[in-house]
Amino acid sequence: MNRRAAVRTLLYIAGGTLVLPACFRESGKASIDLTNLSISEDDEQLLAELTETLIPATDTPGGKELLLHLFVLKMVDDCHKPEEQEQFIKGLSAFSTWSSHELGKRFAEADADSRTGLLDKVDENPDEALKKFFSITKRRSIQGYMNSQYVMTNLVKYELVPGRYNGYAPA
Amino acid sequence: MANLAIDSIKERTFDAIVIGSGASGSWAAKEFTEKGLKTLLLERGRNVEHVKDYPTTNMYPYEFEHRLEMPYADKQKNPIANRCYAYGEDSQHFFVKDDEHPYIQVKDFDWIRGYQVGGKSLIWARQVQRWSDFDFEGPARDGFSVDWPIRYKDLAPWYSYVERFIGVSGNNDGIPELPDGEHLPAFPLNAVEDHFSKSVSQHYKNRHVISARCAHLSKPNPIHIEQGRVQCQNRVLCRRGCPFGGYYSANAVTIPWAQKTGNLTLRPHSVVHSIIYDEAKGKATGVKVIDAQTKEEMEFFAQVIFVNASALNTNLILLNSISNRFPQGLGNDHGLLGKYVAFHNYTATIGAEYDGLKQYRTDGRNPAGGGYIPRFRNVYKQETDFLRGWAAGFGANRSDVRDTSGIGNALKDGLLHAKLGPWRVHSHMMAETIPKEENFVSLDAEQKDAWGIPLLRISIDYDENDRKMRQDYYEQMTEMFEKAGFTNIHTRDDNRRPGNDIHEMGGARMGHDPKTSLLNKWNQLHLCTNVYVTDGACMTSTSTQNPTLTYMAMTARAADHALSELKRNNL
Repeated sequence: MNRRAAVRTLLYIAGGTLVLPACFRESGKASIDLTNLSISEDDEQLLAELTETLIPATDTPGGKELLLHLFVLKMVDDCHKPEEQEQFIKGLSAFSTWSSHELGKRFAEADADSRTGLLDKVDENPDEALKKFFSITKRRSIQGYMNSQYVMTNLVKYELVPGRYNGYAPA
Repeated sequence: MANLAIDSIKERTFDAIVIGSGASGSWAAKEFTEKGLKTLLLERGRNVEHVKDYPTTNMYPYEFEHRLEMPYADKQKNPIANRCYAYGEDSQHFFVKDDEHPYIQVKDFDWIRGYQVGGKSLIWARQVQRWSDFDFEGPARDGFSVDWPIRYKDLAPWYSYVERFIGVSGNNDGIPELPDGEHLPAFPLNAVEDHFSKSVSQHYKNRHVISARCAHLSKPNPIHIEQGRVQCQNRVLCRRGCPFGGYYSANAVTIPWAQKTGNLTLRPHSVVHSIIYDEAKGKATGVKVIDAQTKEEMEFFAQVIFVNASALNTNLILLNSISNRFPQGLGNDHGLLGKYVAFHNYTATIGAEYDGLKQYRTDGRNPAGGGYIPRFRNVYKQETDFLRGWAAGFGANRSDVRDTSGIGNALKDGLLHAKLGPWRVHSHMMAETIPKEENFVSLDAEQKDAWGIPLLRISIDYDENDRKMRQDYYEQMTEMFEKAGFTNIHTRDDNRRPGNDIHEMGGARMGHDPKTSLLNKWNQLHLCTNVYVTDGACMTSTSTQNPTLTYMAMTARAADHALSELKRNNL
């Protein structure tokens, strides 16, 4: 992606006001304005690593580069009920503790295989908030990915103007 | 001063006033301005200019802050608008927000409104079917409402007139209960829709599955090019407003056409308070308007007034047009105004899968949405224990299925490498409801809106006939699906509230007799003949067709009548 496209993507994904890129921040707060969620810089980074684990960079961009974590935050902040937002925050914190415990180090520091292996075990976790957090994050990451400018213009192309309809197209 | 006042009155005097700029109102304006009448077109909402005021029309999904989803706060604030299928992040600016324009729900009722120039013609479903005499003769034959004062032959030439101008794609199917029209080529059925159509024809005598007829330019004629429109581009993003003018909207077609004559004065932000009745002259002389922004009250005058404010708002305006002569509302000596409101019952759907024809899929998008099943129940004779019947939409599609179960590379693979899913079929019911006195709207005695106009009270509900018909739809459609080899059939009551079909009709019904109706066969108020009502409020019964085409045809016919009456000095 060239810079202009990257900035545009960033804006589309973040939606709300972009405060400052993470590296310039000293506040310890999230990099986008959130109305309902209280998210720390650490939380945001964990979420970035999580979306990257869900949808990793290969020869095409993954979660981090497409800023899926910011999309997840934006959607949870604006489109979910207060109860779900509460569970999301509780689950995020529970996920942080649980993953560190299971991996023996912070989620961000673990290698990709161990992270993937851990996510495969989320379903077995008895913590309902953690599971809810994970299912929201996964669903919204998938949505953000499939509806990202990158995917819609390069991989699964969205046609704004099809100009045709064929009801007998070969399968 | 005296001269100033005379000038001012002169400036506010027109040949014709049309209240409401949607599909029917803009048709009246087109007809009048084309024939040289200085016409004032009043619209309570803001102006929406074709193309210029379609802010979302060329946006990609990723350009929407929430990828087209409405935020939770908006759903809490505007539950009624959010229950409308067409309300989304790309179209919400064309819908009335609940709290801006309150009304009183005596019974649950979703009143979906579009207060802007063009009204709901920007966001409508664009399905257009003619009525036949099986519809017009319904009330007389089955003993409800009152007899329609018109028959198909009265409206047929006007259907043609409107269809030629707006552009309607469809086949001439030769079905007596769904008359043929002046059609552009149909959007053809797809493989499975065709299969169902053939199966239904094979198994039933009077049942048909045809290409849905819709107000899209499948192949424009010179008249459509002259309107500045081009062929529909199969975007199916219609609710955002179409930059191609691919479908009929007042904004793309009738309003610019009227403007081109130089005879149109379009006045947005004009809330009509009431129609002014002059007792000495025995007719209406104009309308009282509240400017929506300044709240300034003003009067406009004309020889003829068309009321096209949308069905329930037309009732409201007439009910609020109080004079010594008409203390209960204009033309309402008998108190029937606002009563016998009816609508369409869209509560039932059915879905299934089909395991065959796997060599095909669809490519591109079909703006018609697929097939249409004209009403076949109780058409030639009464054959069930409920009155009237239902039509149905029918569509088949085969979409990509993406495996979302994995994590990491497996998930990415699953998302990017879709498999073709099974054919899925879907239908929704469009049932007639019977107009009844107890389904009514009225004005609240105390509460008023921000413009000093009484709030509308709405008391409308389903009844036993509606429930029986829904059951019949489930049974008949299930049988038809089974005969076509569809599997995994599931019926669903979507529990939608009355009004959510967005086809409210009646309240100022047409009829032969001034004692039992409000309007005569030309859509004139029996008791105030220079006021015409040609939107949904005039409907004596609802039948099952999507109503807008009938309103447009009725409007063109009534405008023609008004023009000849004006010539004869009869108004």
